[in-house]
Amino acid sequence: MRMAANPRPSAALNGKRRQADTRLAARRRLELCLRALCGFAYLLAVAQSGLTQTPQPVNHFIGSDQCGLCHVDVYKSFYRNPHYKSIAAGNTPPDKTGCEGCHGPGERHMAAGGGKDTIAAFSQMTPTQMTDTCLGCHSKDFSRANIRRSAHTEADVVCTNCHSIHGSPTPKFLLAKKQTELCYGCHAPIRAQFSMPVKHRVNEGVVQCTDCHNPHGNFAPSWRTGTGSNLVTASHDNEEPCLKCHVDKRGPFVYEHASVRVEGCTACHMPHGSTNAKLLRRPVVFTVCLECHNGAGTFGRENQGVVIQSASHNILDPKYQQCTLCHVRIHGSNSDPTFLR
Amino acid sequence: MRVTAMKTTLLSILLIPGLAITQQALAQQNAASADGEQVGSAAGDTWAKYNVTQSWELGYRFASIGGNEGKYRSDVNYRDGVRLLGSSLAIHSLDGHGHWFDEITLITAGLGNDPYQSATFRIQKNRLYRYDMLWRSNDYFNPGLTVASGEHLEDTTHRWQDHELTLFPQSAFRIHAGYGRRTENGPTLTTEQEFNSQGDPFPIFQNSREQYNEYRLGFDAKVKAFRLTVQRRWEYFREDLAGSVTVPEAGTGPALLTGFQSIGPYRGRTPGWMGNLIGEYKWVVMNARATYTGGTGDFVQNETAVGTDRFGNAQNLQVAVSGTGNRPVLTGDFSMTLFPSSRLSVINNSSVADTRMDGNNGFLETANFFNFYTVNFQFLGIRLFTNSTDVRYRVSKKFDVFGGYRYADRLIRSIEDTGSAGSPLSGVSAEQSNHTSAGVAGINWLPLTGLRMHVEGELGYNDNPFTPISLKDYHAIRARTQYRRKSVSFGAGYQENYNNNSIVVTSYSSHARSYSADASWTAKPGMSFDASYSKLHLDTIGGIAFFAGAPFPSLVTGLDSIYVSNIHALNVGVRFAVAARADLYLGYSLTKDTGDGRSELAAQSTPAAQVFYNVQTFPLTYQTPLIRLSVRISEKLRWNAGYQYYGYHEEFGLLAQDQNYRANTGYTSLLWAF
Repeated sequence: MRMAANPRPSAALNGKRRQADTRLAARRRLELCLRALCGFAYLLAVAQSGLTQTPQPVNHFIGSDQCGLCHVDVYKSFYRNPHYKSIAAGNTPPDKTGCEGCHGPGERHMAAGGGKDTIAAFSQMTPTQMTDTCLGCHSKDFSRANIRRSAHTEADVVCTNCHSIHGSPTPKFLLAKKQTELCYGCHAPIRAQFSMPVKHRVNEGVVQCTDCHNPHGNFAPSWRTGTGSNLVTASHDNEEPCLKCHVDKRGPFVYEHASVRVEGCTACHMPHGSTNAKLLRRPVVFTVCLECHNGAGTFGRENQGVVIQSASHNILDPKYQQCTLCHVRIHGSNSDPTFLR
Repeated sequence: MRVTAMKTTLLSILLIPGLAITQQALAQQNAASADGEQVGSAAGDTWAKYNVTQSWELGYRFASIGGNEGKYRSDVNYRDGVRLLGSSLAIHSLDGHGHWFDEITLITAGLGNDPYQSATFRIQKNRLYRYDMLWRSNDYFNPGLTVASGEHLEDTTHRWQDHELTLFPQSAFRIHAGYGRRTENGPTLTTEQEFNSQGDPFPIFQNSREQYNEYRLGFDAKVKAFRLTVQRRWEYFREDLAGSVTVPEAGTGPALLTGFQSIGPYRGRTPGWMGNLIGEYKWVVMNARATYTGGTGDFVQNETAVGTDRFGNAQNLQVAVSGTGNRPVLTGDFSMTLFPSSRLSVINNSSVADTRMDGNNGFLETANFFNFYTVNFQFLGIRLFTNSTDVRYRVSKKFDVFGGYRYADRLIRSIEDTGSAGSPLSGVSAEQSNHTSAGVAGINWLPLTGLRMHVEGELGYNDNPFTPISLKDYHAIRARTQYRRKSVSFGAGYQENYNNNSIVVTSYSSHARSYSADASWTAKPGMSFDASYSKLHLDTIGGIAFFAGAPFPSLVTGLDSIYVSNIHALNVGVRFAVAARADLYLGYSLTKDTGDGRSELAAQSTPAAQVFYNVQTFPLTYQTPLIRLSVRISEKLRWNAGYQYYGYHEEFGLLAQDQNYRANTGYTSLLWAF
């Protein structure tokens, strides 16, 4: 009766009990679920490891000296190799130094008496694996900032295609061959261009491919519309590599030849080689100029067509066929808007 | 300019670029395979804790030229004289713990007045410092074709040097300092319209000296997964005209120039900053870069001319211009590479470049004491934003596919102003934007061991090209296959670039195709064979408009500028050892443009049509056979000799001067190496 006379506390107590029971049950269910999940995950992990891994003896680093016991020819001259610095340092972690820095731990390889299956052999790697192995140490240098998206990487041209780690005949960069021969090996049409009568002196040794190109990738150029990279090296302000040497064409000028800045040098010139003087795209200069300066369309700086030549210019007169006879500052002028001085 | 200078030499023959000789010399120090790959242990002498190898090749070079010597000096330019054709010195510490240094490398080529000279030097001590030096020199004739109808007039010297010092090269914090210098001495063309803008032109060559100096200072620091690179740069450029022109100067009309003097100093400076941050963590690689350069140039130009105009009136003209040009450039790049799985990579790159060029000058012209003064201003601004996304999926170890999309948004603003009332350029202001969209796709396939194939295509469109020859509707195809085994390799490639920039009034299209094949075979250690052939085909057509006719030229439209080029290029080389004592190399290089196949220049209906018909093609032949011989006299001494012929022949003399030449060049030398 008392309880009946005082039903509220009982109801409240019962309510609290019910809530407590509910919370307890929920917690127990949650714990159960978590335990089940953990157990499932554990079983899955065990099953996975059982499926994918076979018990292997631990493979230890053994040091480059041990490698040299068999690979005498490589080891004997390795002090000339830039990678020897990591050995000489004496404090580089074993996975970052010497033979095992690239080929991985060698204990199993040595125990097996050699074999490509027991070591990280580059000849057995995919192109991506080779790139990743080298970039393990070399990825953060500024010159390789764009290597992942370079045209070479896209074409599966990897480090060892150009670099000979053990037997480089060149004094720098461990190149597999002399630089020009290396590039010509794939770029035969470029060899043809540098063999033309008018060319940059690459075959003569005074200019190198890497003066203008970064084989490890480039930043987006600032000329044209930034597309079509061709691995060109751009200076700090992304301007064309041509201006590194032809600094007199750089300006700034009061009167810029807009097409030079917008379209770049290759609008008029063939950068590698040409049969035409001044590496021009045409054998005579007036066709180079007239193909743009025809007044047509919405081209040009004012959207009214690239300005046509003066009506006083009789093309039949030889002097008017030599446009740069008078327009001498064709790359840009400080004195004259038509580049006359 | 037809010069024949037959000269003899005491010894035999030659020519090959000096650097190649150096390479040969380097290879000869070691047991070398025929392809130049170093094998076996390094040779050289041991001195204290160092290994020393070196070679010195001293010889005599000769050249005998027939035909147009000016053209030869523009193209080749080897001359007579004693040369240090090549040298190399390499010192390496045996244990990597040298006292002052661990490596010294010096390589030179062509020293002693060859037209192509170079020297590289490196000295470094592990973990402490590394210094690199590069010096190059190039002497050549600067063809004055556009003013002299084929003559090659003036000599130009171009020199470069660069020094780079790195402190703590193997540490997480590196300091870089550098200095670069370029100089060019040679003729600068100034053509004066005397004594007014419609006057007679006087082409005048003045010697100019250009000098560029660059100073660099920076560091890079590696912190955990990041490397920060910061560089500060200061660039200075100066250009000076040297001397006055001898009078009277021959012009192209009845006017007479009895006195002329010009000075035009230019001083430019371009300070710049660059910062780059690379970070990577397992499945993501990021790179961010920002640069700022603030180019400025100050100039003065002062010309005085005295003489009589085409009507015989005495004239005294002075033109004085001074002012400043500015070009600040701000660029930024950000790229992110994701590796969601071991097979898939996604790369996105965004970049922005903002270039603003403005300049002003004060132009004073005093003609017979009558002054004409204007103040002018121009602005050209280019803002370019690009974004590209590339996706690559490796289907299997031997096959992967990739694709990408590129987008570019370019805004060009222009202001052209002059204080001269009524000038056609007065107060013009314009703005335009254009967008480029392009898609790329391709595959890499390794169907067999040693055989690889690459094919890719690009298709793009620009909605508002800047010039009639700019890319508008374009596509490109690139394909290459290569088979490489230990002693043999074959390759073949095809590349096509097509652009159609068509509008109603006129149109332009360009179609370039190149085919190439190459082979290399090392038959045995002492014998190898290399060959490559390329065919470069180009045909373009573009609508043109010009004025022609006398006495009053009239506008001519409806003609096209056509250019057809079919270049066959061949390079062949055979190297073999003779009786284990001598190496012989035979090579042949041919460039032959067959043009459009015409055998003669046919007569056209109008003089104007004839002018353009004559330059539609430019057939020529350029060939250079060569032979090199290297004989081992003793273990450390070799005798080298070489001969190379250069033959240049144009089918039709498009220019007034006969350009053809032939040259016999050669060298003989002694190479001492150990």
